[in-house]
Amino acid sequence: MWRYIVRRIFLQGIPVLLGFTFVLYFVITIAPGSPVTHLRGLPNIDEETIARRAEQLGITEPFPVQYVKWLGRVLRGDLGRSFDSSRRPVAELILERMPATILLSLCSILLGWGVGIPAGILSARRQYSFLDYMITFLAFVGISAPSFFIGLLLLYVFAAKLNVLPAGGFFLAGEPRTFLGYVQYLLLPSLTLGLGNIAGIARYMRSSLLEVLGQDFLRTARAKGLSDNLVVYKHALRNALLPILTLMGFTIPSIFSGAVIVENIFAWPGLGSLAVQAVNERNYPVIMGINLMFAVLIFLGSLIADVSYALADPRIRYE
Amino acid sequence: MILIVLLAEVFPKPAIIYEEVMSVKKLMLFVVTLALLCSAAAFAQDPVPGGTFRYALTTNPRGMFNPILHTEVYDSYITSVVFDGLIYIDEQLEPKPKIAKDWTISEDGLSITFHLHEGIKFHDGVELTSKDVEYTYKTILHPEYTGVRYGDFSVLVGAEDYHNGLSQEVPGIEVLDDYTIKFTTSEPFAPLLSQFTYGILPSHLLAHIPVGELEQADFNQHPIGSGPFKFVEFLTDQHVLLEANEDYFLGRPLIDTLVFQRVAEDALPIYIQQGRVDYAEISPEQYLEVQSIPGVDVYVYEALSYNYICFNMRQPRFADPVVRQAITYGFDRETYVQVLREGFGIVANAPIPTASWAFTTEGINEYPYNPQLAAQMLAEAGWKPGPDGILEKEGMRLEFEFLVPEGTRVNEQMALLFQQNMAELGIKVNLVFMEFSAAVDRVDARQFDTFTMGWSLSVDPDPYGIWHSTSPWNDPGFYNQRSDELLELGRRETDPEKRKEIYAQWQQLINYELPTMFLSYGVTIAAVSERVQGIDTEPGPLGPLVSLEKLAQIWLAQ
Repeated sequence: MWRYIVRRIFLQGIPVLLGFTFVLYFVITIAPGSPVTHLRGLPNIDEETIARRAEQLGITEPFPVQYVKWLGRVLRGDLGRSFDSSRRPVAELILERMPATILLSLCSILLGWGVGIPAGILSARRQYSFLDYMITFLAFVGISAPSFFIGLLLLYVFAAKLNVLPAGGFFLAGEPRTFLGYVQYLLLPSLTLGLGNIAGIARYMRSSLLEVLGQDFLRTARAKGLSDNLVVYKHALRNALLPILTLMGFTIPSIFSGAVIVENIFAWPGLGSLAVQAVNERNYPVIMGINLMFAVLIFLGSLIADVSYALADPRIRYE
Repeated sequence: MILIVLLAEVFPKPAIIYEEVMSVKKLMLFVVTLALLCSAAAFAQDPVPGGTFRYALTTNPRGMFNPILHTEVYDSYITSVVFDGLIYIDEQLEPKPKIAKDWTISEDGLSITFHLHEGIKFHDGVELTSKDVEYTYKTILHPEYTGVRYGDFSVLVGAEDYHNGLSQEVPGIEVLDDYTIKFTTSEPFAPLLSQFTYGILPSHLLAHIPVGELEQADFNQHPIGSGPFKFVEFLTDQHVLLEANEDYFLGRPLIDTLVFQRVAEDALPIYIQQGRVDYAEISPEQYLEVQSIPGVDVYVYEALSYNYICFNMRQPRFADPVVRQAITYGFDRETYVQVLREGFGIVANAPIPTASWAFTTEGINEYPYNPQLAAQMLAEAGWKPGPDGILEKEGMRLEFEFLVPEGTRVNEQMALLFQQNMAELGIKVNLVFMEFSAAVDRVDARQFDTFTMGWSLSVDPDPYGIWHSTSPWNDPGFYNQRSDELLELGRRETDPEKRKEIYAQWQQLINYELPTMFLSYGVTIAAVSERVQGIDTEPGPLGPLVSLEKLAQIWLAQ
């Protein structure tokens, strides 16, 4: 097992990350627009100042030179400084927003599991009932509706009309940071972010459980006179959860990329607005930093999924 | 009763008395005493100190709270209350004394001498002197300076040599004594005075840092200035918190706490409704919704901005002014402003906004929508429909690309209206929607036929930077000797009346030439809670808070 993990990291992870950063850096440098474009609108700015700025930022050098310099810094643990006027270290910009993004993502993952799995079980146990159709219908809505639409809808209903939850954002300056407060601020964004996830998990859970329920060993269990609940929750569920476990690893990337959009709608103080701003301004070091971090997280997510798969199913062995 | 009238006259605009700070203080004292004397009668006018004022920001500041280094408007909000400049710009767009209690301009118009208030203290208790002013402006000129303000002060004597590392001194900046500093230019430069608004930095905290590394200094995230508010904390994407400066030399602000609160743009109306913010700039789409909220006043005021459609005059087909004029006659800009912009804007015919003192209507052709006239002008100029109905002349063809930065609905609708209006004249417009940065790239490379964008302008109306032949921002490629002469004259003329006359002539010229078709002057919409007292209720282009000048004087009704 350990050999497998080490091999995965060194033979697969690192080459993939290297290739990814190379392609990404190449794409953002050939994209039209430059990191100094937005300076153009400033009053009384002269061309020389803009040219000087471009030189200070190091963007006058050819792409390979820029990339190798960037990579060299990253290998020494330095993500560089942001191209915007603050010139703050990229690592600092990411770290101060990271907790909020992780908090939001965790909540929406928990929500996805906490609601999706029971919904899937209910749906499977009462196959073709009204409840099943309702859950199936809602799941399709959840999967198909874009998050910005759901987000705005929730804001409109719960904040504007009913006035029971805050309209996005985070604690006001001076507002006491209570547990209830966190729940209030987190509820709408994590619901928006988690909705697709809830729906997906519910659907997977339903089909996976139905498949297991039809198998011989469960008929045997029932024939032995075990109660229905015992059959489902002790024998069927453990087997049915297996594919869902794999799903977990692969939802991590979609949760993080979804967070970027949801955070912008709700003015959530995470990485979302930084990421969008960085792309609009061609802030290379910030774009690279955020994407590198996401890439690492996604790689780790799929690794954990594979490993947990092996742990959960004794038949699977990685060598 | 006379007392009350007097009170009402004096109180709402304490800022109009500025010449002597002591007199402001005395007057305030007088007013407060008056208010106490007849507090029963003047219930609505009693200034109440205390409370938290929340200003909504839809974008997070970058955390560059250094007045000579930031480039984003939201960072400038923080620096403008933490730092004070030599002067400030009032609601009439006039320079008014701040750290400088007054100034003298030499007879030849070449030098400005500022006399500073004595005893102004930075937030750490150290006194502000002309050394700090010198440090601030010399840093802007320094060869390793990383900011973008050099162009504002490159006219100072010796600035260029110093900037290029050829000399160690700037003769154009002279410290005469601790409270007197003199700036000299090599030729008269009228816009200069209004540029001395940048906050003065504490040299005792910064002078030891090499100028090239200043942008990485911790100071920029923990600024110490001499302004009405002290910086307390900046929580990324959440808020910036500031507290009243008890020792402020113009008197302690009435509010205790000032918060710049980050709010999602779409959530602004709800935040305003719930009273979670006291002040917000809103979009025209939000106007109706916000206006109906009880307890909130909405102000619409002209901004110092305009938008336009630029012709690439380097192309022969756009070289004839008749073509540009005809296209302008042929575009229904009234519908654009009244319908697409829902009335939030003013049709523009020259590049100096209505809000500026240099604005004129004299001799300005308004180019009212007139497709018949447009068609006739084109026909008279020799443009004839080709086989496909599109106008042609001597191998030139009126079919062109129209580059539109995407993202704003109004712009996209305008482009469609333009395309439709032009089709009626036999002109084919091919729309190209493009992300903003990419569009700017095309414009900079001069790879465009026509495009639309906008300009935000400084307080001084000097159009030289955008319109002179030598300007890099002269996107249409407008090279006109008379225009250049007028622009050069305009910056050199220090008599405001004569200057106004020069700019009137220039506007008439540009209004005839139309290197770009002017679309509309912008407006800004501000929503303000009614509990906020002491704002400018008939706002000029700087808004109800006169930029943020009024924050030091407003108070909150219970």
